[in-house]
Amino acid sequence: MSLYDTVVIGAGLAGLTTACHLQNKGQRVMLIGHGVGALVLGSGCIDVLGYQPVESVEPVRAWPDKLSSFMADHPQHPYSLLGETKINEALHAFQGLTETEYQQNGSENWLVPSAVGAIHPTCLAPPSIAKGHLGDTASMLIVGFEELRDFYPALISQNISAQNLGIETESLTLNLPEPGASKLNITPIELATLFEQADFRQQLVSVIKARCQDYDRIGFPAVLGLGRHAKVVVDLEKQLGRPVFEVGTLPPSVPGRRLFEALKHTFVQAKGRMNIGTKVVAGEVKDGRVTQVQIETTNRLKPIIAENYVLATGGILGGGIQTDDQGRVWEPVFNLPIDHNSNRQTWFTPKFLSPVGQPVSSYGVVVNDRLNPIEDTRPIADNLYIVGSLLAHADWTQGRTGYGVALTTAKHVADLLG
Amino acid sequence: MQKKSTEVLVIGGGVTGCGVLFDLAQRGFKATLLERGALSMGTSGRFHGLLHSGGRYAVNDPDAAHECIVENQILRKVMPHCIEDTGGMFVSTPDDPPEFADEFYQACHKVSIPATEISIEEMLRREPLLNPKIRRVFTVPDASVETWDACRSLVVSAAEHGAETLEFHEVTELLKEGNKVVGAVAINKVTGETVTITADLIVSAVGAWGGRLAAMADCDVTVHAGKGTMIAMNYRMVNTVVNRCVHPSGSDGDIIVPIGTVAVIGTTSVRVDDPDNYPIEEWEVKLMMEEGEKMVPSFRKFRALRAWAGVRPLYQEKGAASDLRAVTRKYALLDHSPRDGVDNFVTITGGKWTTYRMMAEDTVDLVCKKLDTTRACRTAETTLHNPHGESKYHTLGSRLQKLETGEFDGQLICECEIVTRNQIEANLATNDRHIINDLRRDLRVGMGPCQGGFCTYRVAGLMHKNKQLTTQQTNKALVDFLQERWKGMNTVLWGQHLRQMQLDEGIYMGVLGLDKLPPGLSGIDEKRVAEVETEGYYEVS
Ligand SMILES: Cc1cc2nc3c(=O)[nH]c(=O)nc-3n(C[C@H](O)[C@H](O)[C@H](O)COP(=O)(O)OP(=O)(O)OC[C@H]3O[C@@H](n4cnc5c(N)ncnc54)[C@H](O)[C@@H]3O)c2cc1C
Ligand SMILES: Cc1cc2nc3c(=O)[nH]c(=O)nc-3n(C[C@H](O)[C@H](O)[C@H](O)COP(=O)(O)OP(=O)(O)OC[C@H]3O[C@@H](n4cnc5c(N)ncnc54)[C@H](O)[C@@H]3O)c2cc1C
Repeated sequence: MSLYDTVVIGAGLAGLTTACHLQNKGQRVMLIGHGVGALVLGSGCIDVLGYQPVESVEPVRAWPDKLSSFMADHPQHPYSLLGETKINEALHAFQGLTETEYQQNGSENWLVPSAVGAIHPTCLAPPSIAKGHLGDTASMLIVGFEELRDFYPALISQNISAQNLGIETESLTLNLPEPGASKLNITPIELATLFEQADFRQQLVSVIKARCQDYDRIGFPAVLGLGRHAKVVVDLEKQLGRPVFEVGTLPPSVPGRRLFEALKHTFVQAKGRMNIGTKVVAGEVKDGRVTQVQIETTNRLKPIIAENYVLATGGILGGGIQTDDQGRVWEPVFNLPIDHNSNRQTWFTPKFLSPVGQPVSSYGVVVNDRLNPIEDTRPIADNLYIVGSLLAHADWTQGRTGYGVALTTAKHVADLLG
Repeated sequence: MQKKSTEVLVIGGGVTGCGVLFDLAQRGFKATLLERGALSMGTSGRFHGLLHSGGRYAVNDPDAAHECIVENQILRKVMPHCIEDTGGMFVSTPDDPPEFADEFYQACHKVSIPATEISIEEMLRREPLLNPKIRRVFTVPDASVETWDACRSLVVSAAEHGAETLEFHEVTELLKEGNKVVGAVAINKVTGETVTITADLIVSAVGAWGGRLAAMADCDVTVHAGKGTMIAMNYRMVNTVVNRCVHPSGSDGDIIVPIGTVAVIGTTSVRVDDPDNYPIEEWEVKLMMEEGEKMVPSFRKFRALRAWAGVRPLYQEKGAASDLRAVTRKYALLDHSPRDGVDNFVTITGGKWTTYRMMAEDTVDLVCKKLDTTRACRTAETTLHNPHGESKYHTLGSRLQKLETGEFDGQLICECEIVTRNQIEANLATNDRHIINDLRRDLRVGMGPCQGGFCTYRVAGLMHKNKQLTTQQTNKALVDFLQERWKGMNTVLWGQHLRQMQLDEGIYMGVLGLDKLPPGLSGIDEKRVAEVETEGYYEVS
């Protein structure tokens, strides 16, 4: 008998969510992650479908309306494999999964400002970000700090104004009060911990208060606290007398970090076992089933055995797909086939911000509708499941489907196994 | 249309043109230089950064080798702030013909290159990452040289003698009266304005474009463009210039030059038809990764950061055979009066970065002769001004030290290259900056391993905050800089570097949504992308 029902490999959003769902269903789950994944890099918002056609610059308002045409254009995309119902179930299940609140704007996307003042269409957002919704014409003051290198309020407000959204926008750049004043290279995470101090907030409010009277809402860089985030926002809103919202910064992302911590909390509360900082170096497949995976420990390789295995190691960025100068592309744990062109010149388009995506970003593991990896049409191992951006044809830049794919595939595997 | 006149007009702002301008000005000529882009945006900004000792040419081209060692010693004196005395080694690996080593050693001594053989143990003590299977090692006085500073120093020093430099002025026509060239028509690429400049004498110093320019005066000059590709690795794996001890003909990717925080391997040598359009090919990248391993066995474990290519101006005598490597690396100074019956027109092309001063001296000697005056050259004795007013501005070590001693206190905007907000703001305050690349050339922002992932947004934010750029210009500056970086990177993306690129893509698309700003605002303009593509301006070596 194995110690675990399921081993989940990878601690990005896809792996964490799968692990939480399964553990909540009473499974014994082991979650192994080498790093913490792209959660701490991104905005912390769940994008489901932001652009369709994907090269359009007009954001999708109601994503369910555009989903079928997206699927028609991308028949091999994970959404096309699993369907709209599964996406909705996944979003619903995610909202109940942690103590952190995520809001949906009916069937519409939230249109929230980015740190250059571009529109970011997203499906689920923490309330602190959703309040920056650009579909709402309430005026805004964007506040930033000289000490924070990763946020330029004037650029944000002027780009918002230039898009003629009917929102009056202004900016304000302040010096941080003590004890932030001398911290010239402060990171978003450090600043978030300062915001948790009542004293610090008090001093800021005293400077901002007089200057924000003409604005309906106030935008801050997304640094409004970590663990005590909700309290920080409530307090600021009370003192300033108007809604306060967050705009994402360059990484590390504080909202992403909050989500990571919240998911971890859920999993650990449910008595899941987790091992972060450990790499799975190999997996063994015999007669169409995975029999074990091996992790790296200080002096030897150690086998981990379970009934089922979920591979959530991400794409190239996550480490789930490796590449080299000779044009080789491989999946390093099970050596699963990755369909690719070994001429590196075909991996990229001439353009960096490519509206059609870099071809290399669509490389991944091809699966059946149970998300088992397949060779030709035959499953390679029927107790092995692939979720998240390791999947083939799941380049998140195309239509902005990143976390939507992570959640939907995670839910599907949880339904199959739980 | 604007009209100007000058005594001697120099066309081309590579190191040769800048050198000619300074020499002319110092000898008291009224001189003007026209460059179609920014200074050093041609071959001089896309070379390997090596101040040759001459060792490389000792066996097959002793004259060129001798020129190198003489100039190497002069340039160390006249532009010390542009040179890092790395020293050089010639190593004979198990893949190299063993008999060449002795031939090399003797040839060096014949042309007074002080080559010294050292033991393998000594080599490994100095450069622990070199291949322990190397059989013989010779040290030579190679060095690395910073081209932006050098060209800037030359024109700044020339300006003190009254010379004028016009960047972003492309010569489109040479004016002739009968068989005399009397001036040039140039287009100001920033304003679109046309400028006519008349002169007593015109010097063409346009390198690989020499044939095209000569044709404007109806002279038949053949300058082949020999493309060479180089790759910057993310780690300064050697502190010494390392050359393979082999015959230079038929050998590619056999030199590693440490520059700043990186090491650069090069080069290939391929004849191309168009000096403005020469894509890097995959085989070149593969080859250099393989050749690198022969010198530094762990070479491929480091990350290739970016690749770029430049075009060697290779002059071919009228009627000579055209095998590329057989074309001399010596320079050609052509007086078109006896050669083609066209007066007041001189072409200087070919040669090497290392020999630019000698080429300039020869050129200005000819100018004197043609204008019938005798004025002595003093460039070998005159130390150039350092435009930054301090030495070794571009080395990371000196900046790190400054940061630690509090001299540059301020916000770190580019962590890889240690560039602070104070430095950027000071630079913005004194210069009219419209593109992030200007700052890159001056301060090296975005040149480190993260390839601008973080600092591009920060620099753009600062330029906007300081009202240097409008909102729309800021968006454009961001997009252009990222696109230009992409062009240098996408031939060397795999492994860790590809992961880094995906992170940068995530930042600019996922976090910032820069690609989804409405067209009028985003600065993403298909035509501009195409231009950046072909012009490939300002790649730094
Ligand atoms: C900068 C950035 C911003 C983004 N912003 C957004 C956004 O705002 N909204 C959105 O919806 N999407 C966004 N995306 C896309 C989104 O992040 C991805 O689609 C999503 O992260 C994929 O999640 P994942 O769990 O599949 O992979 P990842 O998050 O990459 O996680 C992979 C995990 O596997 C681990 N791992 C890899 N190999 C091994 C191994 N051998 N052993 C053990 N563990 C291993 C890694 O350490 C990591 O924990 C963004 C992406 C980037 C890069
Ligand atoms: C790959 C490679 C590596 C090299 N490595 C080294 C090395 O390590 N050491 C070394 O000593 N030498 C090296 N060289 C050689 C050296 O770089 C060149 O010989 C030298 O830079 C040539 O300088 P230049 O000023 O003559 O030409 P360029 O630098 O090309 O200058 C010519 C200028 O003319 C301008 N121009 C062209 N047409 C017009 C026009 N119509 N109007 C106005 N301006 C115009 C161009 O924009 C250009 O800036 C290398 C060359 C290559 C290709």
